[in-house]
Amino acid sequence: MPEPLLDRHFLERLERLTIQWQNSLPGLVGGHNTSRFAGSGQEFLDHRQFHHGDDLRAVNWRAFLRLEKLFLKMFQLEPRIPVRLLIDISKSMETGEIDKFHYAQRLAAALCYVGLVRLDSICLQPFSNKLHDAFTASGGRHRFTPAMNFLSALEPSGQTNFLECSRQFCSKYPQRGLTLVISDFLDDRDCEKPLQYLADFGHELILLQIWADEDRQPPWEGELEIEDAETGQKVELSFDGDARAQYTAAFDAHADLIRKVAERNNGRYLGVPTSIPIEQAIFGPLVKSGAVA
Amino acid sequence: MNFLNLGLGELLGLVGAISAGVVALYLLDRSKRHQLVATLRFWSAADVRTELKHRRRIQQPWSLLLQLISLALLLTAIAGPQLGIFDAAGRDHVIVLDTSAWMGSRAGQGILMDQAKANARAYLRSIPRRDRVMLVRADALATPATAFESSRSVLESAIQQSQPGASELNLAQALEFADRAQKLQSQRAGEIVFVGAARVSEEEAALSAVPANLRVVTTSSTLENVGLRKISMRRSPSTPDNWDIFVVVRNYGVRPQSVDLGLQFSKSPAGSRRLTLGPGAEEQATFSYAAKSGGFLEARLNVRDAFPQDDRAVVELPPQASSHVVIYSTEPQLLRPLFGANPQVEAVFDSPDKFDPAVKADVMVLDRFTPPSAPRVPSIWIQPPSSGSPVSVRATKAGMRLDQWHPETIIGAGIRTRDVTLETAESFSPAAGDITVAETSDGPVVVARESNPKQVFIGFHPGRGSMKYQLATPLLIANILRWMTPGAFRQWEFQAGTVGMVNVPVDKDAKADDIHVLDSQDRSLPFTLDNDNSGNNLRFFSGSPGTVRVRMGDREMVYSLTLPDVGEVPWRVPASVHKGVPRPLLGDAAPRDLWPWLALLGGFGLLADWLLYGRSRAFRLRAARTMSPHFKKMAQWRKAS
Repeated sequence: MPEPLLDRHFLERLERLTIQWQNSLPGLVGGHNTSRFAGSGQEFLDHRQFHHGDDLRAVNWRAFLRLEKLFLKMFQLEPRIPVRLLIDISKSMETGEIDKFHYAQRLAAALCYVGLVRLDSICLQPFSNKLHDAFTASGGRHRFTPAMNFLSALEPSGQTNFLECSRQFCSKYPQRGLTLVISDFLDDRDCEKPLQYLADFGHELILLQIWADEDRQPPWEGELEIEDAETGQKVELSFDGDARAQYTAAFDAHADLIRKVAERNNGRYLGVPTSIPIEQAIFGPLVKSGAVA
Repeated sequence: MNFLNLGLGELLGLVGAISAGVVALYLLDRSKRHQLVATLRFWSAADVRTELKHRRRIQQPWSLLLQLISLALLLTAIAGPQLGIFDAAGRDHVIVLDTSAWMGSRAGQGILMDQAKANARAYLRSIPRRDRVMLVRADALATPATAFESSRSVLESAIQQSQPGASELNLAQALEFADRAQKLQSQRAGEIVFVGAARVSEEEAALSAVPANLRVVTTSSTLENVGLRKISMRRSPSTPDNWDIFVVVRNYGVRPQSVDLGLQFSKSPAGSRRLTLGPGAEEQATFSYAAKSGGFLEARLNVRDAFPQDDRAVVELPPQASSHVVIYSTEPQLLRPLFGANPQVEAVFDSPDKFDPAVKADVMVLDRFTPPSAPRVPSIWIQPPSSGSPVSVRATKAGMRLDQWHPETIIGAGIRTRDVTLETAESFSPAAGDITVAETSDGPVVVARESNPKQVFIGFHPGRGSMKYQLATPLLIANILRWMTPGAFRQWEFQAGTVGMVNVPVDKDAKADDIHVLDSQDRSLPFTLDNDNSGNNLRFFSGSPGTVRVRMGDREMVYSLTLPDVGEVPWRVPASVHKGVPRPLLGDAAPRDLWPWLALLGGFGLLADWLLYGRSRAFRLRAARTMSPHFKKMAQWRKAS
């Protein structure tokens, strides 16, 4: 039997947290979240003939006075504001002395549990070069076990293609919601534009960048043969402390770019090295960023 | 150039092996390592130089070359090269250090041995340090003190521990030993160096058959000395209470000497004599001194010379031994002439009724009676009654004719009679093992029994009848007493002599089985018995001072070998022999150690490699950016190499 992603003690601590968002989104907010809009949150859809047994509160009395016929107003029940977790399962997540992929699985499981406890509608959407099969759950903590099984069954594969995934995501999920992207954001191509797409479509972004220490500051020195984990491309080079400094500066610039995308769209950004324990990452930087509270 | 610790081949092999290892490690260290990364986008952004075609190639040849040269320098330093002498191997010398007795002579503030040690050390300093030296101490025997040794501290310690011995130098043997050791054990023969006074016996004075590579470093040998050569003592044959003392004195010097010789016995003056000795002459002085008791006899020369060790000799003399005889007889006047004639016999007469079986005596005489209990000491039974006699009496007759004596027996040795008729005599029936000494036609009349205690049975009365006037009678009694108490009649001779080889003249018919040569702990010493025209000559060797006893039957000679054996004349060194200490190697000729410089160079090379190509490169490159364009250019050049 595989080891569970999160232990009981950690889950108990997670029950105190709530996923927070900043934008006003249409729809029912889950659980303990409050909406700034008054009313029931129902939207008029159509009229139909009154039948016995219908709720008299929905009769259009104005139309009855004018036409002396009973028409019943039909309202569209608005769904809950979805909380979607985009989980990067590309091959690049496998690199690092501490596995980024496993770290992402655990982080996603923790956020999923926080959402389910607060009766949020959670969607776990893995992606690499495309969107893979998703898992949707809502309604309480008893749905967490299938969600954890789903996460545990994920295997890293493929290359990262943020642009394609963004397109698919926007067409697949027209309802705006809170989108948490858990990834290393190490796409050889530009990932700024795809993230901007998501924001432009009205999704509130929480970008969680995970990196291994080797990703930010490679410890090696001398003559190296570097292989890209996703493409298999190899480069032979001479690496020294000076080059390492340049490398780290480039990485930091890339992370800063992602942060700016999030902040520019009223979202939040959090960079988490895998050397920080997952519990400490959630109750430390993640809580401080306001993504959960 | 000379390599002390490693041969050239060994050094090259070691350098080759380590260089191969270094190159392999270098290639391994500088080869490209494979790493899997998440993306390549930052690597290209890091402005690192890629080299796609250089694989398993030496990336920094100057660094490798510097490392190899540094390692080769360090290994060469370990090999211990020396500059200045191009001999591949040193030579093996033998120092023969004279440790004979003469080396204890006074010379200036010290003794000759001190001069010899200083000369030996000077010779050690004069030869190259890689030369090996064997030290041989030479006196009567040549003894190696060290093997061929290159450590000067070991050799100097062995030289320092050498002390003068007590024996004379046997130069021929010492040189032969050194020559043989050099031929058998040395790799490259050097010199044989004799260091000492070279005072030898007269036979060796003209020794010329010496090794060709001999060098002699002599010390002063023309010192004046008069010494005791030999002291001999024995009981006077005519007056047993007296000691006849013979002292031999020799003048070893080149000038005539007059010396006073004094004798003391138990610290009492026993005699003195003034002797005048010419150069190389020996004089003998004879003394007679009466002493029955034991004590120490000291001979002393009252002279002050270079060698005081041979001016005094002490010999311990034993008291005169005697035999205590108790005679139980009713007619003591018959036996008194027989037992009272010998001064070494203390005879006590008593009546038979006062017989005591445990009387304190060496011998008991029972004259014609049977004691109530058996005597506990050796006993002589004269005409024992048939009842109670230990030996069975066959018959008692008158007019028995004494037919035969057995001279082959100890008691019958030298006894014979002619036409003797015994007036009244008993004949015995001897038991098995009994010795028949004399017999008549009726049977044995004198029987000896080698029981414990010994017993002799005489069938006639020696003080009565015809036997009273026979010469055989006192001889018979004397032989019986000597057989029963040999210690009391032992013939002693004492000699104080010099250690070394001792020659003892012995009887011509002496057999080696009957001779015992014992040291002071009663251990047997090896000896030889040579026949020459004058008789047998017994030889034994004593290398250290002590007492040696030579026992032959009832004769015992005690050699107190306490006088040092001094060589008589200085050796006349052949003209062809090298003399004196050679000049030490100085200046450029002396070997010079190169290892400190090589070790410094090697260490500097490794330090330079670390600074130029090692881990400090990153720091240095950063510093170069901030310091000067020239340095930056240099750094780029190194990187490109």
